[in-house]
Amino acid sequence: MKFLYPELVILITALIALFVDLCFTSEKMKKTSGVVVLLGLIFSGFLLIVTEKNGVAFGGRFVMDPVAWWFKFIFIAASILTVLLSIDLLDQGKLAARGEYFCILLFTLSGMMFLTSSRDLISLYVSLELATVPLFLLATWNKNRIGSEAGLKYVVLGVLSSSLLLYGLSLLFGMTGKMELLAISQGLSNTPIFWVAFAAILSGVGFKLTLFPFQMWAPDVYEGSPTPITAYLSVASKGAGLSLLFLIFYHLFGFRNTQFLGSAETAHTFNLILAIFATLTMTVGNVVAIVQKNIKRFMAYSSISQAGYILLGLLGATPEGIPAMIFYLLVYVMTNLTVFAAIISFSNQTGLNQIDDYRGLSIRNPILSLALMIGLFSLAGIPPLSGFVGKFFLFSIASKMHFHWLVAVAAVNSTISLYYYLQIIRQMYIEKPKGDEAVIKVSKIITCTLIVTSILMVALGIIPCFYDAIHLDTTTYLNF
Amino acid sequence: MGLVSLLIIIPFITMLGVLFTPKAEAHLIKWISVIGSGILLVFTGYITYKFWMEAGADFELMKTSTETKLYLIERIPWFAAFGIEYFVGLDGISLSMVILTAIIIFTGCIASWNVVDRPKEFFALLLLLVTGVFGVFVSFDLFLFFVFYELAVLPMYLLIGVWGTGPKEYSAMKLTLMLMVGSALLLVGFLAIYHASPVHTFDLIKLANVKYDLSLQKWAFPTIFIGFGILGALYPFHTWSPDGHASAPTAVSMLHAGVLMKLGGYGVLRVGLYLLPEGAKMWGLFFMALTTINILYGAFGAITQKDLKYFTAYSSVSHCGFVLFGLATLNFMGVKGAVLQMVSHGLMTGLFFALIGMVYGRTHTRIISEMGGLAKVMPWLAISFYIAGLASLGLPGLSGFVAESHVFMGGFFGNVWQDLFWMKTLTVLATCSVVVTAVYVLRGLAKVFQGPILDDHFLELTDATFTEKLTTGILIASIAFVGMFPSPLIKLIELSIYPIVNRLKMN
Repeated sequence: MKFLYPELVILITALIALFVDLCFTSEKMKKTSGVVVLLGLIFSGFLLIVTEKNGVAFGGRFVMDPVAWWFKFIFIAASILTVLLSIDLLDQGKLAARGEYFCILLFTLSGMMFLTSSRDLISLYVSLELATVPLFLLATWNKNRIGSEAGLKYVVLGVLSSSLLLYGLSLLFGMTGKMELLAISQGLSNTPIFWVAFAAILSGVGFKLTLFPFQMWAPDVYEGSPTPITAYLSVASKGAGLSLLFLIFYHLFGFRNTQFLGSAETAHTFNLILAIFATLTMTVGNVVAIVQKNIKRFMAYSSISQAGYILLGLLGATPEGIPAMIFYLLVYVMTNLTVFAAIISFSNQTGLNQIDDYRGLSIRNPILSLALMIGLFSLAGIPPLSGFVGKFFLFSIASKMHFHWLVAVAAVNSTISLYYYLQIIRQMYIEKPKGDEAVIKVSKIITCTLIVTSILMVALGIIPCFYDAIHLDTTTYLNF
Repeated sequence: MGLVSLLIIIPFITMLGVLFTPKAEAHLIKWISVIGSGILLVFTGYITYKFWMEAGADFELMKTSTETKLYLIERIPWFAAFGIEYFVGLDGISLSMVILTAIIIFTGCIASWNVVDRPKEFFALLLLLVTGVFGVFVSFDLFLFFVFYELAVLPMYLLIGVWGTGPKEYSAMKLTLMLMVGSALLLVGFLAIYHASPVHTFDLIKLANVKYDLSLQKWAFPTIFIGFGILGALYPFHTWSPDGHASAPTAVSMLHAGVLMKLGGYGVLRVGLYLLPEGAKMWGLFFMALTTINILYGAFGAITQKDLKYFTAYSSVSHCGFVLFGLATLNFMGVKGAVLQMVSHGLMTGLFFALIGMVYGRTHTRIISEMGGLAKVMPWLAISFYIAGLASLGLPGLSGFVAESHVFMGGFFGNVWQDLFWMKTLTVLATCSVVVTAVYVLRGLAKVFQGPILDDHFLELTDATFTEKLTTGILIASIAFVGMFPSPLIKLIELSIYPIVNRLKMN
């Protein structure tokens, strides 16, 4: 039971946040709900840290293992940062309904955390829905035309993908008559039905992870959502997709412990499929990002391409791939949130979201543009920033599996991505400000967030202890 | 922290010093940079002394050795799971490159004395770049090497984009992207080598003890050669270089042509020839042919140029061709010549670009045909320009002669793995470029400095100031020193060339 404490704390905090908003009438007291949520999240994180990394609850349906632990850790960190980024907007009234906002945000977080620990089909699907459905609401928080359109698109496509996933899972249940992932993995065989299920599941997951050709929704939703939610979608939701993919590959299909899927031939097929998905996703994301004018759409395509890189970690289902993947996710969370913090503080003051508007930012606020520049360089994978180290480890997995062409494709893609990240840097540093030269002020909370994320972003790449910890935890666990 | 780490730390701390100086104190920022790079130069002298104290005794031993010996080593485990270490040290080749870099950055900082636009960012980026360059030359762990390599390449984008002239944004982007494609190739090669070796480490010395499959060497060597070659201006991947150099501000051109392009040749030698000797034998002749085109193309290209900077940039392409040509000969003489050419060309181009900056600062034009008779008003600059030009056409007594004669001898001696006839033919062709060089250098300089004064306002121009005399003086002295008294440098280089060439001769 104690393995559930972090999730329970989150749920209780969600309810408290709702009631703080409900019970107090003065605006001053209502503002405390932000603090309550932060404390709740930090307490939950603390509980997670003191929990053992191995444990079972509910008769094996809820399992705590190092991989789940790290995913939960990343989700909580991402949520804390998202809350920090939202508080200003909520206080200024640019985002409505503080209590509901926090409550819904925490519900999706708890869904993601349950998801990483689920070990049977029912809890897996229910917790996935718990993670996704509240996000539909958050995406439509801006009640304007773009927001509503984004929300509608998100709901329709989201439900479609969930039903595909459900269909695939039900086929697997039909094949084996089992609910537990481990039991299913032992009953799988090389039949056409399996491949149909595989295709359905992969499309369902591909939607969450914005893999090509299931990435269509991302740019519209990213553009229409409130910016903190865009940030949250780009990191936490992607992380949830990744943890789902991991569950499916390692537990549901049970690589290495079933004869059919463990055979060299099938493994090669799987690798090839992954490699093709990775190639398409990163290339499409990168190439389309070049022509974007709106910075939120731009970040959407950028995060699509990042999903392509992260897939490399699953190649060959090696124990080494998983720490590389988790590490990259952690790096990506810090980096993307740094970038979004800068975007939020810029648009909060100016109300502008076009890339052109960033002209001369280095003169209007040198520190903000420096943080944004370092963040973009890290996304592009420039050493010694952590984005480079993370990518290097991922590419190394591809190289180990003899996918040298994939390493070349990925590295050239990084170059393409550098091209469009440099476009923003060009606007900030080379172009002169147009008209408005007022200094951009950054609020205290966002400054703190920026400092924390920037420091972590650099430190993750230089100080080895983070990667070593992930590596040690996960490889000992995965070496079954 | 050991001595070698200080080579990385000193420019980095100087950069921090610049960053934390208030923007208004432009003068102080320049002083900090100059003093920091001055300390670096003096420290390099000290480290050379320490190095020779340790290494001098090993000279005879290295003649037959096949294992590179490093001095002043420091190693700290880094990402232990991947066998990545912070592993720095020095051998003769890297030390000669370090000395070159220290001279160029010191003179470069002095030459940038009149940067007015955002000096703080300019010097900070310049010093960051130098941190990267020193890092590349001293690191012996492939991962660390790669980290510094990219760190050295990237500040270039902003340095050219913000402070450049002409089509600066286009040039900056072209340069950055082409070099990044190069490093993408390097990444593929490095990772393939890492996974092919059973030692599970990025330690260059340990990786060199592994015999790699011929199938791997066959594709990895050209991948790495081209990856580094893009930075070393290998034909047909040199196109970023004329645009980049023409648009860059003076100090950046100096550093870039003088030092950064040498990273290409250095990398080919350090990673390509050292780790993949069999691949080198398979591809040697091919790359000799390619670099011969390089040498001739650059030289003929320079004849037609109208802009002084483009003129020098094409001449750089030609001279950098000698570096790669020397390496592709795969023999002792040629490889030694290549390293000598790196040093010689670095000093020479540094001088060239510094002088162009000074002349341009006065005449406000770089078009050759618009200038004339400048020797009458600025004799010091004219004489310095002639010395640089004569060094570049290989006049005995200056550094170019020493380097190029070694390279040509290397090409002519040939090696046992390749057809001697073709090697000799290519060498003869490459030698012809010396004549072409003489044509364009003498014609170009005569046009600029001799004849009647074309424009009346040229009469009001002044000769070199004290700082300019200092910059050019240091560079000319170094060129003359290498030209007339090359034996210390040659000995330093030979010390570390032996093991690499001996490895080629094995089996």
